Formats: sequence, structure tokens, C-alpha cells
Amino acid sequence: MRRIHTPLYADHAATTPVRREVREALARCAEEALGNPSSGHGWGRRARRRLEEARRSAAESLGTTPRRVFFTRGGTESDNLAVLGRARHQRTEGAACPLVVTSSIEHPAVFEAAGQVVAEGGRHVVVATDAGGGLDFDALRAALRERPAVASFMWVNNETGLALPVAEVAAECRAHGVPFHSDAVQAVGKVHVSLAEVPAELLTVTGHKIYGPMGTGVLVATEPRALLPLHVGGGQEGGLRPGTEDVAGAVGLAEALRLAVEERRSEADRLGVLRDDVEARVLGRVAEMAVACDEGPRAPHISSLRVVGADSDTLLAALDADGVAASGGSACASGSSSPSRTLTAFYPGDQAASLRLSFGRATRRRHVDRIVEAVAHAIECARAAAA
Amino acid sequence: MRAGNGTAGRRRRILVAMSGGVDSSVAAARLVEAGHEVIGATMKTFCYSGTPASAKTCCGLDGIQDARRVADELGIPHYVFDVEDEFTRDVIDDFVHEYSRGRTPNPCVRCNSNTKFRDLFKRGRALGCHGVASGHYARLDRTADQPRLLRGLDPAKDQSYFLWGLPAGLLGKLHFPVGELDKAAVRERARALGLVTADKPESQEICFVPTGNYRDLLGKRLLPTHPALSPGPLVDWTGRIVGRHDGYSGFTVGQRKGIGGGRPEAWFVLEIRPETREVVVGPREMLDATRIVMGGLNWLATPPPPGARIQVQIRYRAPALACRVEACGADRLELAMEAPAKAATPGQSGVLFDGDRVLGGGRIAHARGEAAPACATTSSPPTRRTA
Repeated sequence: MRRIHTPLYADHAATTPVRREVREALARCAEEALGNPSSGHGWGRRARRRLEEARRSAAESLGTTPRRVFFTRGGTESDNLAVLGRARHQRTEGAACPLVVTSSIEHPAVFEAAGQVVAEGGRHVVVATDAGGGLDFDALRAALRERPAVASFMWVNNETGLALPVAEVAAECRAHGVPFHSDAVQAVGKVHVSLAEVPAELLTVTGHKIYGPMGTGVLVATEPRALLPLHVGGGQEGGLRPGTEDVAGAVGLAEALRLAVEERRSEADRLGVLRDDVEARVLGRVAEMAVACDEGPRAPHISSLRVVGADSDTLLAALDADGVAASGGSACASGSSSPSRTLTAFYPGDQAASLRLSFGRATRRRHVDRIVEAVAHAIECARAAAA
Repeated sequence: MRAGNGTAGRRRRILVAMSGGVDSSVAAARLVEAGHEVIGATMKTFCYSGTPASAKTCCGLDGIQDARRVADELGIPHYVFDVEDEFTRDVIDDFVHEYSRGRTPNPCVRCNSNTKFRDLFKRGRALGCHGVASGHYARLDRTADQPRLLRGLDPAKDQSYFLWGLPAGLLGKLHFPVGELDKAAVRERARALGLVTADKPESQEICFVPTGNYRDLLGKRLLPTHPALSPGPLVDWTGRIVGRHDGYSGFTVGQRKGIGGGRPEAWFVLEIRPETREVVVGPREMLDATRIVMGGLNWLATPPPPGARIQVQIRYRAPALACRVEACGADRLELAMEAPAKAATPGQSGVLFDGDRVLGGGRIAHARGEAAPACATTSSPPTRRTA
């Protein structure tokens, strides 16, 4: 029987609702009669001022300087620009076969960009990563000695919450003179992200994972001239991202970023306690299941549950029918669960269904009972469907 | 008689199999209108990556997106269920196996008999669904003790032929909401509801053969040295070699194409002999079958006793032919045709009717004719038989 409950959102790693302060900032932009930031008149000047304020704010939040902050239209675009842009630039400098190095658990925005580098005649070296967050540093150093165009290692994995040792990777890259890129989409607001401490040459951030607008992103680039842009046009964003700037989007993203960083410590602590509670109680109730990467350092907002003998699609459907939003490995175009590269890398041959719960501002202490109840019931359904 | 479109009665939770085509879209809409709690479901039957042609078939990624769009318009949830393992085992493997032994399979029947209703409904049941619906043009009569499967009202669209293999125990759980409509009415209904699929063309291809050529699939799934893909002799009914072919899997009994011309009358494939790789050809009248033997039986009614006069339909969109039950065993049914049947093709479905009612069906094992070819008086006609 369908149980009627208020809907409960436990899919913050997929996207987050736009928070009030950001909505207000967006509304102010809409009311302000902003011109095109490239225009010389008053309307244009006002828009430019907003845009540059947003850039300053974003830079401050990330521990970098405004000159290095470039607004893009999202995380995928930033990742593509970092990986493809670097490889293509290296080719213009005479590298016949540009190399990119990544972890084995990157988001498709990085992994597929690396695939494109290969399609264009380059190479892609994958450095093995384990479920405990360990990395094959010997393989990394061997790859770095080949002077790759870029080494890209995500800060926090989107499927499991696993945190990679980015500070060590950044140090190795620096020692070898290789630009280091990190996709920090799942890290900002959950773990400490500061370019003042981890010297990444390239960093990806997106707005919609931190209660900002969808379709907004930042690429931090310390050497923008060493990137070939993906688009051609009017030269906006230092030529890295041509096209009239999304001023309101940049303002909204900067405000979301400021708040995420400001509230990071207390919110991360709160989510960590809540996540541990959910995991302990689900594991206490349901046999034959485990938490992925629980031996490694994890960001506090993601629980990746591995459920033996269950049908993953039914698991998610049953949760949805119960009013709880969660996801499988990661959202795939078809909407069905597809074998996750991350989980396959960590647990090869394992047939368990995976369920990703991801917590955020909408998740409250009082929801824990309900989440545990719904997950236990959904697993029961999914096991019946797989029987 | 309340011959069911299956929408009437009390409110139920029903899973509707949505392919993304117009028929299943309207089926879902009619169930919603009848007040049921409807859950849309699309099966992901094979991997779509790397198949640019997938958009052409109803089961491709576009199909999933269309189904989801329609479900959104109807305000019902929609889930994608990955049934790739089951579909591969029960449909694709069978398809390849049948061709490899010189028979012509009927994958849509296999999918309906196994995947679409049994495996999909297993998931639906786990979600608390009482029944499963599809956009097939067929009807159910629920007035009798045992539900009866009937032809769809529109003779041009009737799809009961594809449903003979359903588990009999499932009949009471099925709903065919468009079975009483004709195609024009279905499209009209879809337009009136503003569904995106209203004017979508019919899909005719086999969903897992996106290239449209099943030999491509056989080439991928069988060793290149498999007899079904290896050259062999074309022989006439006396055993005389009349030509060569490049693999018997390219042939179907009754086929005219691909056996060469230059004869006063057209010749057809009469038989495929996998053990010798021979494809036997001859004139049309030698295709006439007066006896049909079937195996792999499934009954949706009490099996008819010997002597019973029923009808058998040996291909989709062909009229049912009057016949008499000669023998009816556990898994062997022998029919005597009242008039000769043209090209009863081994492997294809023989669907048994009593008027509009589907009694059951089976796979044609072999057929036997009595006509001697007009041009050959010296030899006896071949017995059409496969392994």
C-alpha cells in the first residue's frame, strides 16, 4: 500500500533547491535593469559592476584572486574546459600526443573529456584509486614524469562521498611541473576547499549543488592562456567562455558559494552526525548490506549503500513511491541505474544494488526515522523483485 | 458481455508498460481517466550506448524519454527498469539460438511471454501493483470464471497473435486499455490529450537490432565459423545443387529473396537443414502444408481434445486458418489443415483461436505438405522438418 507522507528530499548530491538568499539576489538582479556587461553605457556599467562583485566574492570564498575566476555555465563545462582546453593547448604548442592523467573514479564530465582527448589523438592514463581513498602514487609519479597536459583528480567523489588526497596529488603535480585540476563540485560547502592551501591550477565549482542556480559554474584557472576555449565568440571571460555573461547567474552562484563556505563547518558537522545515524540504523535493521567507502575519508553528505540481492531500479521506485527522493549510482540519461564506474572500480564483480542517499539543508534530525523506515521498506520490495 | 478494456472496476494500482509509442501512451491515459493509480514503466532491454540508430526503435533512449514525457503530462510516476539480463537470456539468446539451427524466431512473442509481463510485473508487484497493462490491441473478457484473451476489435491492428505465451495465471492481472479502439481513435485520443507521442510513426523493427539487419547481431554473437554463417548449398527438392548461399541463417522458410532467379516460375525456401547447411528451394505449391506440428505449447484455455475444430494463425496479420486437432500431448500438438497453409515456418508462432478467443499457441516445429511440384513428377516432395 502506498503510505502517504510528506515528500522527503535525500538527493542533494544530484542538485539542491535554490536557497532564499540566492533567490533574493537573483530577484535584485532581475529588478535592477542590467545591461550587457560589454556595453559602455550606464546599464552596461551596472551589469559589469555586479559581475565583478560576484567574481571578487567567489575568489574570496575559494581562496584565490578574482583574475583567476572565470564564470562558466556549469560543472561539466568547467571540467571540459580544464581537461580538453589544456590538452588542445598543449597540442598547439607542438605536443603531438597530449596526455591527461585522471583518477579511476572521475565524473563523466572529466572522464569523457579525457576520452575526447584520446579521440583527438592524445592519451589518457588512469591512476587506480581504492575504496579507502588510497591512490597509486607510484603510477601517478610515473605518469607525471611524462609531462601530461593536466592531471585531474576530483576533490570528493559524487557517488560515494570519498575524499581523494588532493593536497598530496597537488604537491606531486607541482613537483613535476604539471597543472593540477580538481573537480570540487561535491566538495565545496562540505569539506574545506581553499586554493590557498591546496595549490590547484584549475578548479571546478558549480552553483546548483550548493543551493545556487542551475547552469552556473566557475573554473578557477591560474594560467588561463594555457587553455584553449571550447567556444568561439566575443571574447568574454577572458576569451575562455565567450558569450554574453549570465550576470544574475554569476551573482547567484557567488552568493551561494559565500554562504556554503561560511556555513561549511557547522553544516558539515551536522550532516556527518545525521549520516552516521542513518547508516548505523539502516545497517542495524537490514542484513546483507554495507556502506561503500566507509573505511575511507568521506565528505559528510553522501551515503552510498550496497544492497545484496536487490533490484536497483525497484529500490529507487519504491523509495519514490514512498515519497523519498534518492538516486542510484549517479543519474544516467536513461533514468535507469547503470553500472557505475566508481563502484565497479572499488568492488569489481559485485552485483549489489547501490543506493545513494545524499543529505543537505532540507534534511533534519526528525527525518531520520522516516528515511530509515523508507529505505528498509524499499530494500524489502527490491529484494522481492530480484527474487 | 463486458469484454474488458480493463479500465473499468474499482481503483487499483496498475503498472503500465510504456514503450514511448502512442499505443502505450494512450493505454496509460485511459487507466488514469478510469481513476486507477497508474505507474508508468519502461524496460531498458539492452545497452544503448554506441548505437546511433537506437532513436529509431520504440525501445531506444528516445522511447524512454518520450514515455517519461507522457507520464509527466499524465501526472503519473515513471520508472525505467533495467531488464537487460533477463531480456538477453530469454529473448536475444533464444533469437540467436533459433537462427543458428535454421529456424525463424519470434522475439516479440518471447518478450511478451517472459520479459514484459512476467519480469516487469515482478517489479510492479514489489511496488504493490495489482496488475500490469500494455498498449496491445487485445481484449480480456472477465465475465467467465477464467479470464479469456480475445482479439483486439480493430482487425487491422489486432495484436493478440503476440500474446499466446503469457503465463495463464497472469491473465486476471492484465489490462489492455486500447484493445477496443482502432488506431485512428488511439491517435485521436493522444492528440486530444496533447501527448507528445500522438503522431509518432509505428515502430516495425526488432528493438535490439538497431541496424535493421539481424545478421549483424548473429555475426556478433556467433563465431564466424558457425555453420549458420558459413556458405552452403542451395538444393532443390530432389537434392540437386542449384546454387550456393552464404549462410542459412539468412533464410526463412517461405522466403523468395536471395535464391536466384532465371526460372519459369518463382522459387521459395522450402526447408533449412542445419546439419548439412542445405537450403532447400522449390516452387510455391510445395510450401503448402496440410499438417502442422507444434511444440513449446502454452495454454490460456483448456487444451482442445483431438477432433476439435479450431483455427490457427501462423503469422502476424494473416488470417487464422481452420484446422482440426489431430493429437494434443504435453508438448506436442498436431493439426490437420482444412485447406493447405502457405509456408508454415519452423520457429514461428502458431496461435490457436476459437473465434476471437486465444486458446494458446506454440512454436511451429515442422509442417508437411502433399502437393508434388508441377515440374517434377519423378521425385517425391520433401518432408519439411528441422532439428
